[in-house]
Amino acid sequence: MSKVFAVEASAVSKLSPRRRTLCTVGGVIVLLALFVQAWIVVQARPQDLITGAHGMADIISRAMPPAFDQFVPNLRPVLETIDLAIFGTVFGILLAFPLAILAAANVTPARPLYYAARALIGVTRAVPDLVWALLFVTAVGLGPFPGALALAVHSVGMLGRLFAEVIEDMDMGPVEALTLTGAGRLQVLSHAVVPGVLPSLLGIGLFRFDENLRSSLVLGFVGAGGIGFQLLTAMNLFQYQTVSFLLIITFALVACAERGSAYLRSVVM
Amino acid sequence: MNTLPTSPSSTPLERGSASFSPIVAGTPYSGHLHTLGSDVKLAVRNLTMRYANGHTALNGLNLAVRAGEMVVVLGSNGSGKSTMMKCIVGLNRPTAGSVEIAGRDLATLSGPALRRARLPLALISQHANLVKRRSVLANVCCGTLGRYRTLGTALGMLPRAEFDHALGYLDEVGLLHLATQRAGTLSGGQAQRVAVARALAQHPHVLLADEPVASLDPEAADEVMRLLRRLASEDGLAVVCVLHQPDLASRYADRLVGLRRGVLAFDRPAAQVSHEDIARLYAGLDA
Repeated sequence: MSKVFAVEASAVSKLSPRRRTLCTVGGVIVLLALFVQAWIVVQARPQDLITGAHGMADIISRAMPPAFDQFVPNLRPVLETIDLAIFGTVFGILLAFPLAILAAANVTPARPLYYAARALIGVTRAVPDLVWALLFVTAVGLGPFPGALALAVHSVGMLGRLFAEVIEDMDMGPVEALTLTGAGRLQVLSHAVVPGVLPSLLGIGLFRFDENLRSSLVLGFVGAGGIGFQLLTAMNLFQYQTVSFLLIITFALVACAERGSAYLRSVVM
Repeated sequence: MNTLPTSPSSTPLERGSASFSPIVAGTPYSGHLHTLGSDVKLAVRNLTMRYANGHTALNGLNLAVRAGEMVVVLGSNGSGKSTMMKCIVGLNRPTAGSVEIAGRDLATLSGPALRRARLPLALISQHANLVKRRSVLANVCCGTLGRYRTLGTALGMLPRAEFDHALGYLDEVGLLHLATQRAGTLSGGQAQRVAVARALAQHPHVLLADEPVASLDPEAADEVMRLLRRLASEDGLAVVCVLHQPDLASRYADRLVGLRRGVLAFDRPAAQVSHEDIARLYAGLDA
């Protein structure tokens, strides 16, 4: 390790002190310029936060106490939100795994398939789930189904990329050993690749469930069901006490999912 | 099964190449390879490997290994030992020459044909390369996959008899009591012995071992070498082992083969190779 540092230090010391200072100053100026342009483009007005504070306080006061009596009527939307995440994650994993096999350079059966799989993963990943939801709402109508489809498609991209990276990083020793025993591609896949990467894939899948649960809350805003849809409706009807109750439910759901998936990840990893 | 028929169209030898020479005069195999006895399990003829950058890793190597014989290959780094092993198992396609096992020239095959022809050949590497999250028994059973290329075996199903055989191989390497343990929990020596059991599950005629004790302590190294020796003497396997430990080589091998810059430096019974020969072999790289 110390050798690495020594090599790095010698590489840095090739620059004269004057040039090093110039490089540092230049770097700082570039970073500042980037931040200033971002400030201008987003039209940042910090003073509005202070002048608008009373409006925020007004909404908070009207949201108190939370409408806990809305618990029973909102049970189904809560279930819908959880099920959106389950559907999206399960289908995401089922579709992402074979895609990841094709998209992993070290195990892909053919180069054209590798590029095709990478392209598919790229497209499904690049388009946000909210946009997928809008597209699916147009295709299959309002309700939880378009939301579930949106989460599944976006998950395919996110999971496909991560799965492929895990497979590419795996120890190829067992794969080579089994290949030399005369095992076929499918046998090598099931006996060496899958056991080698399964814990990591399950961990990533659980993490994705956690992400999908958060996303499913937002998807309701575009008519894809769940708590998000109830939240939007309550806000539009100025039912701030219902809004605060739904926010508490949201917080509880996300916290439970986070803790649950962290525990399960610790078990499978 | 034991005969080593030659394929006239595939090797320089059978094409009547005048440049073909005996392995090494005075060795147990003096004379042309095609005159060797029927118990030869592996015959490497005139093996040459030249890389795209022009480097010649192997130059006209000849080697024959009989059933029940243990041959240890010695040589300094870059002498061509690993290239030779890769050419034998078909991971590298040699520029010229042949590698015959059970009457088939592996050097001319590829794809499924190579996979089938490679079945009588098992390789043990420096690292055991076990699937760490699977049981020891499951790892041994993986050695049978080449003989059962079905969807069922891909899903983990194997004939009951194969499990029994796998337990037998584990017993043979002295690890039956660890059959249900996870492979990832084994010590280096134990893992290497499981790799040997996996190789046995292939039902090989030829067992190649590429630096099998390189990462083991002396005691574990001794155990693995004893096991390889026993497999050659008692089970009749032809064993080719690449080593960097001349003392182990002298102790366990029937024959010692020295490689220097891709060329055979010597190929003699172990008793006829002196410390001086070995010292000269390793010094040869600098000469």
